Amino acid sequence: MKHTIIALLLALVISVAAAQPAGTLTIAQAQDPQSWDPIDTFFLAWGMVGSSIFDGLVHRNLDMEIGPGLATSWEWIGDDDDRLRFTLREGVTFHNGEPFNAEAVRFTFERLLGEEGAAGPQQANYTSIDHVEIVDDYTVDLVLGSPDPVLITKLAGYGAMIVPPGYVTEVEPETFNRSPVGTGPFKVVEYVPDDRLVLEANLDYFRGPPQVERVVFRFISEPSTRVAELQAGRVDVVQGVPISLAASVDRTAGVSIVPVGSPTVSSLRFNHCLAPTDDVLVRRALAHAIDREGIIEAILEGYGTPIASFQSSMSFGYDPDLAPYAYDPERAQALLAEAGVAPGSSIQVDFIGTDAIFREVAQAVASMLEAVGLQANLVTHETNTYYNDMVPNNRVGHLYFSGWGGWTLDFDNTAYLLYSTGQFWNPCFSNEEVDALLASQRATYDQAEREVALQRVAQLSHELLIDVPLYQHQNLWGVAERVQGFTAPADDRHDLTGVSLAN
Amino acid sequence: MVAFLLRRAIQSLFVLVGITLFVSFTIRLSGDPAVAMFQGASAPTAEQLTTIRARLGTDRPFMEQYLAFLGSLLRGDLGTSFRTGAPVADAVAQRFPATVGLALTSLLVSLVIAIPLGVLAARRRGRPADFVVRVVSLVGLSFPNFWLGIMLILVFGVYLRWLPPSGYEGPASLVLPSLTLGLILASTTTRLVRSALLDVLGEQYVVTARAKGIREHRVVYRHALRTALIPVVTFVGLQIGGLIGGVVIVEQVFAWPGLGSLALNAISFRDYPMLQGTITVLAVFIAAINLVVDTSYALLDPRIRYA
Repeated sequence: MKHTIIALLLALVISVAAAQPAGTLTIAQAQDPQSWDPIDTFFLAWGMVGSSIFDGLVHRNLDMEIGPGLATSWEWIGDDDDRLRFTLREGVTFHNGEPFNAEAVRFTFERLLGEEGAAGPQQANYTSIDHVEIVDDYTVDLVLGSPDPVLITKLAGYGAMIVPPGYVTEVEPETFNRSPVGTGPFKVVEYVPDDRLVLEANLDYFRGPPQVERVVFRFISEPSTRVAELQAGRVDVVQGVPISLAASVDRTAGVSIVPVGSPTVSSLRFNHCLAPTDDVLVRRALAHAIDREGIIEAILEGYGTPIASFQSSMSFGYDPDLAPYAYDPERAQALLAEAGVAPGSSIQVDFIGTDAIFREVAQAVASMLEAVGLQANLVTHETNTYYNDMVPNNRVGHLYFSGWGGWTLDFDNTAYLLYSTGQFWNPCFSNEEVDALLASQRATYDQAEREVALQRVAQLSHELLIDVPLYQHQNLWGVAERVQGFTAPADDRHDLTGVSLAN
Repeated sequence: MVAFLLRRAIQSLFVLVGITLFVSFTIRLSGDPAVAMFQGASAPTAEQLTTIRARLGTDRPFMEQYLAFLGSLLRGDLGTSFRTGAPVADAVAQRFPATVGLALTSLLVSLVIAIPLGVLAARRRGRPADFVVRVVSLVGLSFPNFWLGIMLILVFGVYLRWLPPSGYEGPASLVLPSLTLGLILASTTTRLVRSALLDVLGEQYVVTARAKGIREHRVVYRHALRTALIPVVTFVGLQIGGLIGGVVIVEQVFAWPGLGSLALNAISFRDYPMLQGTITVLAVFIAAINLVVDTSYALLDPRIRYA
């Protein structure tokens, strides 16, 4: 009996000790977003960190399932589903001690949808919300002006992260950019731009305190250096291990490579306003000329999946029956002859020069095009020039790089922006049926109906060959053995609450 | 001397105006900062773009923007970053010590290596030591700095674990990046010290010094080396600009939060004020160094006078 009591006491002491967060987890990522304000951001690099500082009304876990976040429940009310009522979690405070309540929700969305939000990229994702109405301290309604079937997911991240009204009002915007305050599992204690962001465990976190005491995010743009830090044992988790270094990392004692499928697909888009790729026969010929499997095997070292749609199989709207055009150079040549394309015709391929992997892919594509009798001409651009000038102004050649996943894991946003007539990122392609389908799936909350519409868009994109999807990405994370309970996030947004460190 | 300094200062001013004009113009040739704010997240509406351009002032004619920049520059104001909303001067001031510290340490490293080795090679001209120094310095000259940086990281950071592979955590972090730049710069400087010293060692005053029975060590270090260093100082002064260029690359390799990463980020965000501010400060720094180099001749060779 006496022994049992001592054992119980010991167990109690041990469990109390275990509950105390301990150790410093160091994560190296490539990019420092420079501003931590949720409404300013468009970076995955922000998402990697932001989910540790902030919370949304809803939460998406590492299995990509939506559940309660700062709201414990929600329901659609009103006759035409134009009102989304949230019951908020009580007793939650921001890192600076401000209470979380309906006012914080109202403030967050008014800021996002108002003048401040207009200066950033996030507002456009939330324009379906007309205004916010406070019912009582812990009940709040989002009143919609237009339907948005993806809204619940969007509330789990980025622009919809809840910010503290008092702090945001009192300090200058640049101060909030530098020292953000949220309700998340970690609070910001130090930020040295382009060097590090230091977070400390929030012991009052509503989902329970994290198990590590500190998290240091280091910003190391050079991939070889990030990997060296992991191999030297000074960094525990590394984002974006280059494929060329994956094998050597995996051979290092005490570290391993954790691959995770990403929603992002790399494609080559066709320029439909330029001969000869304005002809569907030519587009089909080029699709048959490209050996995806060969590219994945030789260049991606197997870290990729062949795919026939512009977002991965984890996204809503994916049609599993869609198969990529088979690699068939003879058929490609026959189609080119049928379309009247003279052998030796020049095909220009545009892409971003700093993307080392895609550069190799483009070179492989060039040799495949040459194998079917075409002359390939590779043109590289700087990232910003490419996205802000070349693509929107259609100053690209016949084929051009496109890689866009969409963290909402829903075809809607990407498909709409890439395929709807006259969209910023779609200066050229236009098809009435695609336009009608994309508009119709936005106007309904019937997810089954939406799925049919989006799968039809994927099929049309395949038949009309708007683009040639090449492969779904796998992101490679390097992880030290002492890190326990780490799951590489498919959407890059860490949940570090379950991570602990072995000695 | 004063007239000389004044003339050089005025020349430098023209150079600075030229550089700021060039930078301000070229950064505006491609990519719109308003669009850059949306990259990859959503598509901006025309109305949004108009509002943002008006707020940033990028809708105004180029010369108007440039003159406004020069105007605030004269008041010591480098403007406000498009991306962070914070004063550019603060960001530059925060990064300046990191970059200049790295550049000057690299320079010091290169001199500490180059002068003794150059002297050794000159004194042992045609003997094995000379041969080894010349071959090693030729090899050093052929290394690209990012490659050498990664090799040093692998050897001293990963394999031996003597030094931190990267970061900005105090003196130990400074060793590898300054060695990377210092070793490469030392290769050229060593060759220069050797040939300059050989020239001087053949001059009559050296022969006289030797004839007077002064010890060889003293002849070389007190009499000959001082003269031989004049072309070396010119060379090193001219290298500062190139060194700063090298720092930008080495900062990326070693995750060193200096002006290089600030400038590269500014380019990718099309953050005009940040880029203009960073380049202006670097240009002023390089111009100032050149001025110091010019005046330092007088300290090394009392015969040189400025009119």
